[in-house]
Amino acid sequence: MSKMSSVKRSIITAVCIGLCVVLPMLFHSIPNGGTLFSPMHIPVLLSGLICGWPFGLLCGLAGPLLSSLITGMPPMAYLPSMMIELAVYGLVCGLMINLIRTKKLYADLYISLVVALIAGRIVAGIARALIFAPGSYSMAAWATGYFVATWPGMVIQLALIPTIVFALMKAKLIPQRYPAKG
Amino acid sequence: MRTLPTGQYIPGHSLLHKLDARVKILCLMLFIAAIIGAASIWGYTLVLVTIAGLILLSKLPIRSVVGSIRRMGLFLLVIFMMNALFFDQENPLASWWIFHLSSGGMKQGFSVVGNVVLILMLGNLLTMTTSPTQVTTALESLIKPLALIGVPTEEVAMIISVAIQFIPTLMAETESIKRAQLARGARFESKKLTERAASFIPLVVPIFISAIRRADELALAMEARGYRNAKNRTKRKKEPLVLHDYSALTISASICLIQFLLLR
Repeated sequence: MSKMSSVKRSIITAVCIGLCVVLPMLFHSIPNGGTLFSPMHIPVLLSGLICGWPFGLLCGLAGPLLSSLITGMPPMAYLPSMMIELAVYGLVCGLMINLIRTKKLYADLYISLVVALIAGRIVAGIARALIFAPGSYSMAAWATGYFVATWPGMVIQLALIPTIVFALMKAKLIPQRYPAKG
Repeated sequence: MRTLPTGQYIPGHSLLHKLDARVKILCLMLFIAAIIGAASIWGYTLVLVTIAGLILLSKLPIRSVVGSIRRMGLFLLVIFMMNALFFDQENPLASWWIFHLSSGGMKQGFSVVGNVVLILMLGNLLTMTTSPTQVTTALESLIKPLALIGVPTEEVAMIISVAIQFIPTLMAETESIKRAQLARGARFESKKLTERAASFIPLVVPIFISAIRRADELALAMEARGYRNAKNRTKRKKEPLVLHDYSALTISASICLIQFLLLR
């Protein structure tokens, strides 16, 4: 998935950053839709999978920052922890998709996504416990905030992202990961 | 969804509007450090007086600065309760299952919520007195030192500029896809929450396909015109810092220093 030119990868990352601003606005007509469905995570994970880890990292840092500046979501007080979480998603997703080669597209995608989602949540929890809320952040709060409250979003991400990648490959907008031989 | 909420930015001619965006971002970081360092009534008083002064200087209506805080009331209550119920499990006032209400937890909850509210107000002041383009240009300037460790700062700045310019296009695309799905029976305005949530899922895949298709076309157009990388690009406008920018930085740094002296 990394045979695209650097210009194309840059522009796809720019579009994913734009979607980090637009998608949360779509979901905010649903009460608590942002927290439940985590719409900002989808473009970040996608940019890591499609463009590679440097672009995924940039999307994870710039997406929530731009969204906070333009729409006020997430609020400034929660922006640093969210930037860290999404940056780790983009970074780990991009690294994993480069490392893992099971010869099956969906297996590669799911392994990369699951590892990225868990790594991002662990790093964000550590950042909150050590930097943003030292001494006042417990395991129970971490588990509630990052797993119990956001499980619908995780299910949607695991269902939608491989679908989107497959659709993009079928539309020949991104290169095939395992081109058919012959 | 029809109007882009760049109404976050309110044009004006106040002193805050005239400050350079780079200075405002640096001052915001200094004030955030001052808020986090506030540990006494004097510390919080200093911060509150500073924010009140900034609101007066900005000539913005107070309702617009604190408006987003009211909308977050439930969220702030959850933060307070999480601190009150999970902070101190050894000396609880009352306990039930995994929940332990403590006075230390409630104190911590008030402190955290207070810090969040103050930082939110400062963030609102920045976004309401600075346009997104000014912020992007400022960020591009502030991240230039990262080029020393190999970060391609020009490319990063180009990506963020393209992202901002794409936002209205993506919003228009989203609106037309939403209308197409409505014509196919999607129920975005349904009173049932699950039905409303489920109706948004079929929007997401077409939005991404259409967005990536536009990205592909733009990248092809740029490469066809000889664009290879963002190095060696120049800017027409170069705006140096002036007296009021240096004064703002000095005052912010002084407030931060006083706050840390008060900590001792």
